[in-house]
Parts: sequence; C-alpha cells; structure tokens
Amino acid sequence: MRAVRFHGRGGQGAKTASRILGTAAFLEGFVAQDSPIYGAERRGAPVAAYTRIAKEPILERGLIIHPDLVVVADASLIHDPAARVLEGIDERTAVFVNSPLTGEQLRTQTSLPGRLTTLDLTEISVREFGKRGALSALLGAVAGRLVGLRQDSLGQAIARELADLSLAASVIERNQAVALNCYDAVRPVSVEAGASQPILPAQLQPPTYEPPTRGTARISAAANSVLRETGGWRTFRPVLVPDKCNGCWLCFVYCPDGVISMTKDDKPLIDYDHCKGCQICVHECPTDALVAEREKEGGVAWRAK
Amino acid sequence: MTWQRETFKKIKQIPREEHVLPGTSLCAGCGGLESLRLAAKVLGDDVVYVNAAGCFTMLAVYPFTPFKGSWLYTTMGSAPAGAQGVRDALDVLIAKGRLPKSENLKVVVLGGDGSTYDMALSSTSGAIYRGLDFYYFCYDNEAYGNTGMQLSAATPYGARTSTSPCSLQHPFATMQEKKDIFEIWRAHKPPYIATVAPRYPLDLEEKFARAAKVTGPKLFLALSACPTGWLYDPGETPEVAKLAVETGLWPLKEAINGVVTHTYVPKLSPVETYLKLQGRFRHLFEPTLQKEAIAHIQGSVNAYWERVNLAERTG
Ligand SMILES: Cc1ncc(C[n+]2csc(CCOP(=O)(O)OP(=O)(O)O)c2C)c(N)n1
Ligand code: SF4
Ligand SMILES: [Mg+2]
Repeated sequence: MRAVRFHGRGGQGAKTASRILGTAAFLEGFVAQDSPIYGAERRGAPVAAYTRIAKEPILERGLIIHPDLVVVADASLIHDPAARVLEGIDERTAVFVNSPLTGEQLRTQTSLPGRLTTLDLTEISVREFGKRGALSALLGAVAGRLVGLRQDSLGQAIARELADLSLAASVIERNQAVALNCYDAVRPVSVEAGASQPILPAQLQPPTYEPPTRGTARISAAANSVLRETGGWRTFRPVLVPDKCNGCWLCFVYCPDGVISMTKDDKPLIDYDHCKGCQICVHECPTDALVAEREKEGGVAWRAK
Repeated sequence: MTWQRETFKKIKQIPREEHVLPGTSLCAGCGGLESLRLAAKVLGDDVVYVNAAGCFTMLAVYPFTPFKGSWLYTTMGSAPAGAQGVRDALDVLIAKGRLPKSENLKVVVLGGDGSTYDMALSSTSGAIYRGLDFYYFCYDNEAYGNTGMQLSAATPYGARTSTSPCSLQHPFATMQEKKDIFEIWRAHKPPYIATVAPRYPLDLEEKFARAAKVTGPKLFLALSACPTGWLYDPGETPEVAKLAVETGLWPLKEAINGVVTHTYVPKLSPVETYLKLQGRFRHLFEPTLQKEAIAHIQGSVNAYWERVNLAERTG
C-alpha cells in the first residue's frame, strides 16, 4: 500500500487533488480510498486529505499518521503547528513541496527531513491560468507521477473530478494540459511502502461531569484574536506604492479583517501578521497604489508564535 | 424625496477604531465580516453579541475572541430567545441597582440566512412581537455556508448550491424564489428595518446611526457576498456587492414603523453583469446560454422596481 497525505489551505485544491489521485489509481485497477479533513475552518486555513492506494482491499481507515508521500500545496504550512505537516515524516518519506526553492534549499531553510522534491505550481498556475486558483489538477498529477501512475489515467481522473465541480470543458482541458506538463517537470523521488503499523485497541475514558464554569468553552479575555496570525494564508501580499496613493481611505474601509489603518498623513499601514491576502484593497484602490506581490519566501515567510 | 444621510456624509467620517479585531478564521474576502466590521464601528464595544451557529461561529474560536465586548453562542433556532434572556438579565440587574446604568449593553443577534429565513424565524417573530429592544444582524450569504453551501430559503432563483446543483432535470439549478424576509419582518411592524451592502459603507453606517436612536427591534439584512460559496475571487467581494445593488437585485432600503424608503437609486444595469462574475451562476451561460432563466431574473427585478416607482409616485 502507498499512503499519501496532502496538505493545503482551504481553496487550494488539496481535497480534489486527493480525489484525482484516488480516481486515477482506481482507473488503473488499484483499490483506492480518499478522504479530506478540515476542522471548523475555511478558505485559507489548513486542510489535509488522505489517499491510500493498494492492490488488496484496504482495511485501514482514518488519518494517515505515517505517510509514504506528503504533498504540500503551500510551503508556509510547514511551520504552522495547526497543519501538522511534519507529523510522522522521517528520512524515508517522500515529500513534494509547491515552492520556488529547490529541495536542497528547502531542506536548509526548513529542516524538513525526507526525500524532497519541489516545483513552483503557484507560478505555473498564475502563468498558465492568469490568476490564482485551485491547484488540484497540478497537485494530483505530481502526486500521481511520484507514486508511479500513468498520464492517461491521471488525465481522465482530472476530467472526472473537475467535471464534478461543474467546471467548463475548456477549463478542464486546460487543467489537464498544464497538469501533465507538471507531471513531466517534477523531479521524481522514490516512494516506498512504509512498514505497516500495529493497530492498538482504543483506550476509552468515560468523561466526568464538570460544572459549566469549567466544562464549557468560556473565553475570559477581550480581543485576543490578534494572537492568532492569519498572515500565513496569503499567496499574494498587497504592497503600497506610496507616490500613487491619494489618501482616499477606501482600502481601510473595505478591508474585511480590519488590518489596514490610516496614518496621520492618510497613508495605509498594512498589518501583514494578519492580512489574509484577499486583495480587496488592490481591486478597490482607485489609483492602483496597491499592487499584489507573490509571497516568495516560501517556508520561512511566516511562523506561528 | 431623496433620502438624506445626516451623520455620515464623507468617507473620512467612518470611525478609525476597530471593534472586530483581526485573527478570526472567516474566509479571506468574507463579505459578511466586512459588513459586521463596518456595523461595529457604530455599535461600539458595549455589546453582547448573541450568535446563531453558522460561519460567524468562526468569529470566536476557543480560546480567542475578536471582540472587546461579549459574545454568546446559541443554536441556529434560538438566538433571538437568547437575546431576550440577556436583555432581561441586564434590565433586572439595572433595576435592582446591581449594575450601574452606565454599564448597560446593546444586545445584537448575529444570524446567517439559514437561521434568519428558516430555523430562527419563529423565535424572531416572537422577539419582534414582544417588542424586544435588540438588534438583529443577518449576514445573508444566500445558503447554509458553514456546512458547505446548501440551499437555504435565501438562495436566489438560478443559483447553484451543493443541494440544488445544475442537472438535466433542473438546468437552472435553484428553482425556488428567495424568500422576502424584509416583508415578513415588516408585517410584524418593528420600528426599524434596513438592508445594507458592504460596498455602500456610508449608507450602512448611517442606518446603524439612525437605528441607535430607536428602542425596540432593529433589524438589518446585510448582503454578504461570499467568495467561497458564490465562487469568485476573494478580491472581488466589493465588486460583487456593488453589482448586486446596481442591477437592482439587492435594493438598499429602510422601513421606519413600516414605511419603506429606498435609500439608493440604482442604475439597473442588466443582471448578467452580476451573474457572470460568479461561478454559482456559470451554468446559465455555459455550455448553453439559458436565456429563459436570465430573462426570468431580469423580469423579477424589473417588476420590483416598477412597483417601487409606482408606490413612490403615488406616495
Ligand atoms: C438545528 C441545526 N441544524 C444543523 C446545524 C448544522 N449547521 C451549523 S452551521 C450551519 C449553516 C448555517 O447557515 P446560515 O445560517 O446561512 O449561516 P452561514 O453558515 O451561511 O454563515 C448548519 C446547517 C446546526 N448547528 N443546528
Ligand atoms: S463561507 Fe462565505 S460567509 Fe462563510 S466565512 Fe467564508 S466567505 Fe464568509
Ligand atoms: Mg448563510
């Protein structure tokens, strides 16, 4: 069996990528299983998805704690403890990261163990599709290449899964073509089946009664959400070109998260620790004084405190 | 007579201070959060929010809160009942002298359209009937968003949701018409009702400033353009909200003691301009242009504004 774990941010396509991989394996006659997990979070927040591929019926269920291949759609997740990218990874694990850095550069920057390989899928997607969007087809194709699936089955799987999302035929074809280019472009690393893990019986602990003051989720603090930095959600950052700014306040007004404040001389000040990178300010700025720049620093762009 | 803003005339009158702080896990570009943040600039910090389950659950995720004031979580059907309890508790404590009058708080229900149009309709009806002194803020993203965009009674005709997909039997996806919650509320004769959209911040702030002078139920319906569910790029939230208003699909209006005034006269651009921006309507354009469905949507908008013009002319 091969156990593949995908990590992405809501909206990047990790879930669909895992479906594409599972479907492609199924089309080649394998038994496949895939399932996503997202907590009470949404677009931009960490998501994981799991695909198991085998020749025999798969009896394992649930999370993949010891993956053979990890596919990371967003390098800024590596150091986000909530994403648990590093869980169960050792020197034998194959790891693909969507990053402009090479595997070696990434290893020195992030101390990721495993057999690393990278490709800048975001750059490819922006270049080929002209906008930021889901990377599902590209991630699926790369993962398929690494586990040894064929191009034709991946192409078919992309068509099926994207049609399920009601994408237009032209968009699907474009995705297939770009994905198969990524299939060819990614540097393969070997993906080995891991040692099977012994299954231990679950230890149930009966819950004890707690009074509401202890037993409910009571928050006795004011406005402490600022301790949670959402800056790592960004693929693009809004950057001010000061000379073009006419001080109109529109960016400040329209920012949903309230991360833009106006200085005394009416220039926007952006709180990059929290800016989620929605680009509303870039769209609404009447003088184009805000521009979107790709977050390039990869894995070390942001660290949770 | 055109509606005049009295308090908020210029963008730079919008208060600088933030009352909904960053760090929440609502989606990047959430139009609901944008509306709430603007509303809170007038509501201030002396507030108890009573939040029905929905995307806004994500405002306060243990152990973090974006508010300086209080936040209470309720089931989808019971936020107005929760608001009644909080209001009564405050009134009793103040009457008994156990809480100084200066520490009085505003009670504000936050509810999605799933709560507002469906599950909490009876408890809202009860609260308005009892004349409860509270605000109701419905952030309308036109579906059950938090659980993956299922059809709600607020989903407009022709939109695709996860439970009203585009299919051979239903090529236009949603066949039902959006429930007119404004008129349902108005039939209860509360002192203040308004619709708002985040792309019209001065209109929004003005309405909250006017409501602040009113005792009793104050109900707000906020267009909450939703990149995740409506399928457009998060940066386009204000554009989508603007087109909803300019096409006439989302009228900006208020009703004071039942008397309706439209607070903005839209250009009435063709509805396609709005529909085309969003993936949830893509099946109306591709692979076949569904002229009938688009004409139906345009027809409802035209009929609405004809009624408005007639009513305003005959006074
Ligand atoms: C009685 C009940 N049924 C179902 C749910 C599950 N649930 C949680 S949030 C949600 C969606 C609510 O939709 P809406 O009120 O429109 O708010 P949104 O999520 O769109 O913000 C649902 C169905 C629930 N909490 N309670
Ligand atoms: S799903 Fe829509 S309404 Fe819900 S948080 Fe995301 S953008 Fe906002
Ligand atoms: Mg909703």
